[in-house]
Amino acid sequence: MASEVLLPTSPDQAIAAFGDGAGVTVVGGGTILMPAITYGRLQPEKRLLLLDRSGLSGVTRGDGAVRIGAATPVSELEAGDEPLASVARTVADPEIRGQATVGGNVCATASAGVPRGDLQAPLLALGARVRSAGPQGQPSEPLEDFLASNRAGRLLLEIVYDDVERRAGHASVHRPHAHHYSILSTCATRSGGETRVAVAGAGPVAVRATSVEQALAAGEPAEIAAHKVLDDVDPSDDALASAWYRKRVLPTIVARALARLEKEDA
Amino acid sequence: MKAVGARLPRYDGIQHVTGRTVYVDDVRVPGMLWAKALRSPVPRAEVKRLDVTKARSLPGVHAIVTHEDVPLNVYGHLEALGVPADEPLLAADDVRWKGQAIAVVAAEDEATAREAVEAIDLDLEEGEPLLDVRKAFDPDAPQIHHWGNWYPHFEDGMDRRQIRKGDVASAFDRADVVVKGVYRPAAIEHVPLETQISLSVPEAGGRITIYSCTQAMYFSMGVVAAHLQVPLNRLKFVGGTVGGGFGGKVDTASETVTALLALKSRRPVKWRWTREEEFLASSTRAPWHMEIADAVTSDGWILGRKTLTLHDSGAYARFSPYGLTKHAFHHLGAYTIPDVHFDGYVVFTNRVPTTAMRGFGVTSVSFAVETHMNRIAEVLGIDPFELRLKNGNRIGDTTANGVVLHDPSTVAVAQALAKASGIELADDLGAMTNAPRSGALLPEHLAAQQVVNGKEH
Amino acid sequence: MKLTVNGAVHEVESPPLTTLLAVLREELRITSPKAGCEQGGCGACTVLVAGEARRACLLPLAALDGAEVTTVEGLGTPEQLGRVQEAFLERYAAQCGYCTSGMMMAAEALLRSNPSPSRDEIQTALGGHVCRCTGYVKIIEAVEAAAGGAR
Repeated sequence: MASEVLLPTSPDQAIAAFGDGAGVTVVGGGTILMPAITYGRLQPEKRLLLLDRSGLSGVTRGDGAVRIGAATPVSELEAGDEPLASVARTVADPEIRGQATVGGNVCATASAGVPRGDLQAPLLALGARVRSAGPQGQPSEPLEDFLASNRAGRLLLEIVYDDVERRAGHASVHRPHAHHYSILSTCATRSGGETRVAVAGAGPVAVRATSVEQALAAGEPAEIAAHKVLDDVDPSDDALASAWYRKRVLPTIVARALARLEKEDA
Repeated sequence: MKAVGARLPRYDGIQHVTGRTVYVDDVRVPGMLWAKALRSPVPRAEVKRLDVTKARSLPGVHAIVTHEDVPLNVYGHLEALGVPADEPLLAADDVRWKGQAIAVVAAEDEATAREAVEAIDLDLEEGEPLLDVRKAFDPDAPQIHHWGNWYPHFEDGMDRRQIRKGDVASAFDRADVVVKGVYRPAAIEHVPLETQISLSVPEAGGRITIYSCTQAMYFSMGVVAAHLQVPLNRLKFVGGTVGGGFGGKVDTASETVTALLALKSRRPVKWRWTREEEFLASSTRAPWHMEIADAVTSDGWILGRKTLTLHDSGAYARFSPYGLTKHAFHHLGAYTIPDVHFDGYVVFTNRVPTTAMRGFGVTSVSFAVETHMNRIAEVLGIDPFELRLKNGNRIGDTTANGVVLHDPSTVAVAQALAKASGIELADDLGAMTNAPRSGALLPEHLAAQQVVNGKEH
Repeated sequence: MKLTVNGAVHEVESPPLTTLLAVLREELRITSPKAGCEQGGCGACTVLVAGEARRACLLPLAALDGAEVTTVEGLGTPEQLGRVQEAFLERYAAQCGYCTSGMMMAAEALLRSNPSPSRDEIQTALGGHVCRCTGYVKIIEAVEAAAGGAR
């Protein structure tokens, strides 16, 4: 295996080492990539490791914003804001959460057709923006744009959302297992009168359920609005569940998340 | 008997909690090579071409074995019990299940072994697989086994396990209701924490030491000796330390292959299955298809039972005829039914060959019978405990195979279950025992099957 | 690369992308952590890294320069068992033993940071560990017993 392992000790070093990303495999904690290497499915040309030492780890609150470094372990979110904290707690188990990073999770692509990246949905619901390094410098953009874009050549640096009062609710369906594989997950938040709804597991990346949001904004009751989610998603069959099952179940869990949003103490 | 009732430490307890138990994967011998297998990517195909030349020439590759290297490639695990051989150790002319081993490589490290596997030239011509046991009997179903689609070698040339007792047609004539059910438990993986593994170490004198995870050392020794066509004293098995078996480590999955690789390379060879390989290629508990029809009276007597069982053996027979035999013996459950018609088939499909798993052959039918009893109770509108206690085995009752029962426990167990569940049984049910049937508990249809004091009723 | 395992410092030669599990088992011949799945799914490989429970099969050596690792061999010996080992022994928490190393290391990490865990907390901490033999009850009881103090 001809791999060079790079361990940057500052964000600038990380960005410089990443360059334009050609031939570089970015590793957060390694929980996703190491099995691929062990099983011989991935033989990276050059490797870049992001560690706490890269200075890209940590959750800070200030200037009205919550900033999460890309190399922050998932476990550091467990005591934070909802719905991020609750979803973080369902990722694998404590040992893996202590090693896996937020960036690695958010950037995770599907495996054998099964969508990954449980943290995408709560971050979308929180209105998160991401800052990444690439050919255009270090632009900041809404998470949904980042997820939809061609991310080759982009190094995720941090995720930011507004530090405001908000209500949150979430609901999900899992395959029972030591690791609780999530089949579908919905996160909803409301702050300043605006409701945001995000759905994961019904497509290659999590998406904003804009049809549901618009219906709610137009005064539709939650049960009716929840059904509009089928306009926002196009699920596939995969090893976890069929597209049919996902379409049947999704409106119910969207309604559930919205109900929990209402019940939650502000 | 000092041990009975005493609290004894596990003999392996200290080793386990100090990390000192030596499993096969913990054995260290110098010069050890790692093995990886080429496995069929499809459920059914003819092997048109198999060429290991390029793979063999890769640096770090020490040996590759195919069917040509196996002195006796087709050997039946149960030949000694009259089950003829059908399964090759390594695939020759065809592959019959996805994951079937075709060739195995021994190399300096896992990565090299994997690379060599990928360099093997394999041409397959795929065929239509048979994956549904119900379709096996269709005249235009693909014929996927050289014996036909179901096992034909039971005693007296029978192609099924058959039980006929009493007059089941008459029972169905007399029935007030016929209750039918179809039960299809799926395959179950053993998932031992320790995957299949063996380590074979060649000795200068020609003997091979084989570290094995088998649950059945002497059995596996015999299987390896047969495949290799060597006397038993050429093999030294080291084992008895199993990281979970549950019936799945009786199939002697890897020992012969590592022995062959060790002989060919003259180096110790270890083959440790990956977890993915374990899920793909290790045998499972079989899926079953059971159709039960019971002739019952409105007051809850089961007069007769017709059963059809299709056991999914996967691509080869292995232990399935034995499992089906046990299943047949237990197909009435813990209940006395006088008129019986049972047919059971060992059906081949292009799936991983199935094997033993705790309660081999019987758990399937227990599940089906108990669910069926609940169904009967629901249809008749009677208490499920009453149904079980009435029909439950008593002293002097005979089983479907004509075995006379001397101390059956159905009644006591059912009563204990009710108590443990906080269910209060009616007085008459709570007072029942397993004493020979008499009076109201001996209706006419149960008279002929009763044998008390050696005398038939 | 320097790795301290159970207090002993080792100069490790394995390539940087070797997993900690392979380094321990193959290079250092410390075999208590097991290769149950090599993809983080079973917990049989769990060891402590800087006192935290981690999957050895998921950690690349490159991320561990100077790290302090603890395995079962560092919990105690047959002559002097650690509290978790003693509890697992007395409570019959091991049958085939293959999951036992990982279970005990997860329990050890839990008790170091939470000396009196609730049953829920034990189940969460060990939640990623698979056992096919015991049905888990005796394992949880063993952790409770270990928390309850020396017996």
